[in-house]
Amino acid sequence: MKCDEVKKALPLFLYGELTFEDEERLEVHIDECEACREEMARSKAVFQSLDDSELAPSAEMLAECRATLTGRLANVPMERGTFWDKLREGFTIHFHFAPGIAQPIGAVAMLALGFFAARMAPPSLMGGSFRAAGMTEPVTSRVRYVEPDGAGKVQIVVDETTQRILSGSIEDQSIQRLLFAAAKDPSNDGLRVESVNLLKNQPQSSEVRKALLYAVQHDPNAGVRLKALDGLRDFVDDPETRQALTQVLLKDDCAGVRTQVIDMLIQHRAPSMVGVLQEVMGKDNNDYVRMRCQRALHEMNASVETY
Amino acid sequence: MAQAAVRMDESELIRAAQRGDQRAFEQLVRLYDQNVLRLALNLLRSPEDANDIYQEAFLRVYKNLHTFRFDCSFHTWLYRIVTNLCLDALRKRRVRREEDTVVETSEGFLDRMDTVEESRAHGDPQRQLMSRQLQVKIRQVLDELTPRERTVFEMRHYHGLRLRAIGEMLGTSEEAAKNCLFRATQKMRAALGDFV
Repeated sequence: MKCDEVKKALPLFLYGELTFEDEERLEVHIDECEACREEMARSKAVFQSLDDSELAPSAEMLAECRATLTGRLANVPMERGTFWDKLREGFTIHFHFAPGIAQPIGAVAMLALGFFAARMAPPSLMGGSFRAAGMTEPVTSRVRYVEPDGAGKVQIVVDETTQRILSGSIEDQSIQRLLFAAAKDPSNDGLRVESVNLLKNQPQSSEVRKALLYAVQHDPNAGVRLKALDGLRDFVDDPETRQALTQVLLKDDCAGVRTQVIDMLIQHRAPSMVGVLQEVMGKDNNDYVRMRCQRALHEMNASVETY
Repeated sequence: MAQAAVRMDESELIRAAQRGDQRAFEQLVRLYDQNVLRLALNLLRSPEDANDIYQEAFLRVYKNLHTFRFDCSFHTWLYRIVTNLCLDALRKRRVRREEDTVVETSEGFLDRMDTVEESRAHGDPQRQLMSRQLQVKIRQVLDELTPRERTVFEMRHYHGLRLRAIGEMLGTSEEAAKNCLFRATQKMRAALGDFV
């Protein structure tokens, strides 16, 4: 390999993209050529400097993206494929069973398949329809278990989820009760975001404030916590709210949430806040939060540090 | 063995999400979303644009997951969507005036890029010595690469993807990806050689 060829091959060599033979030829040349060794050292230094310039999204940025996505997905229906897609999926076996048990499992699978095919087929194909009064058809079905009854028949227990549409004013207590439950649903971030977003417009209700305070202190999703904080903005004077926000400022791991809390808390410069602000100054790693604390402490003629 | 188990879990997640299981979809997103965001952030160097790419990419996945037939890996399929979006954004950016990353706020002037973390450790003295001038130069060189060179370089250098996989994701050959990478590194070397 000549020096010109080495120069061209160096980037690919450093990325491990050369063939074994080319790598060998390049290494032999490098061993013998000082100029190319220096060239390789410079190329490595350039690569190193590029490594250092990589940006990493912060945890807050990722959390914000996730919360936004969850909220947006809640309004987009998911395409589940056509009836024929589902049927084809139903006929696709993804696991290889041991030959000895294949037959009985296959029989049960075909039985379940027949059951689901019957559930999924449009009513026009089934020659009839049924609908529970006041409810939509089941939106999800799951076979809980199957059992032969000894008379050549099979009993199948199916879990079904049905949907019911309720509508009413946000001030309606029964609507609020459902929103309180939805605001705590651990399995659905989007549902909690939307529920808290609705509740935050009714902070004058003590029950709603209680739900918002719970969300601010306990919700694992920073997006939900931020929405809940929005609803509490006008109640910073309320001792219970103030105490909860103080705990959030000291404990929340999301800088975005702490930033919002500090802005809310320092609007009302209660003397009891001095100790908290000093504690935050000593432990918070976010420049903005510390800067706000420092400014508030100066304005309250309090020292920035505890001695 | 462990890798096979992970793959099986992923295909189960995909099938469950295809059946409309929202939680499965969420888990699927979380397997990849950090890398997707990192790729978009580094390619576009703007938190807002990276967020837009993140949202659009996963919305497209959500809407089109039922068409995914396991003809390629989910990773390849997802990155094809993400890189196409990034390439479009980079191309559009070339025809409009570049936005300044510095904005004026009530707290004074802020660099929007300060809201993201550079990968170097704050406490590492050697890395702290990295001059601001070199960082600015690197940003300039990256901006001067063509969208394709930039994307190939980003995927190879920062994401460690093989050129064959990159070619597959970009709908081109391994050889074409190799040529892109070569041109990108030559430009880097020419521009940064005097700084290191």
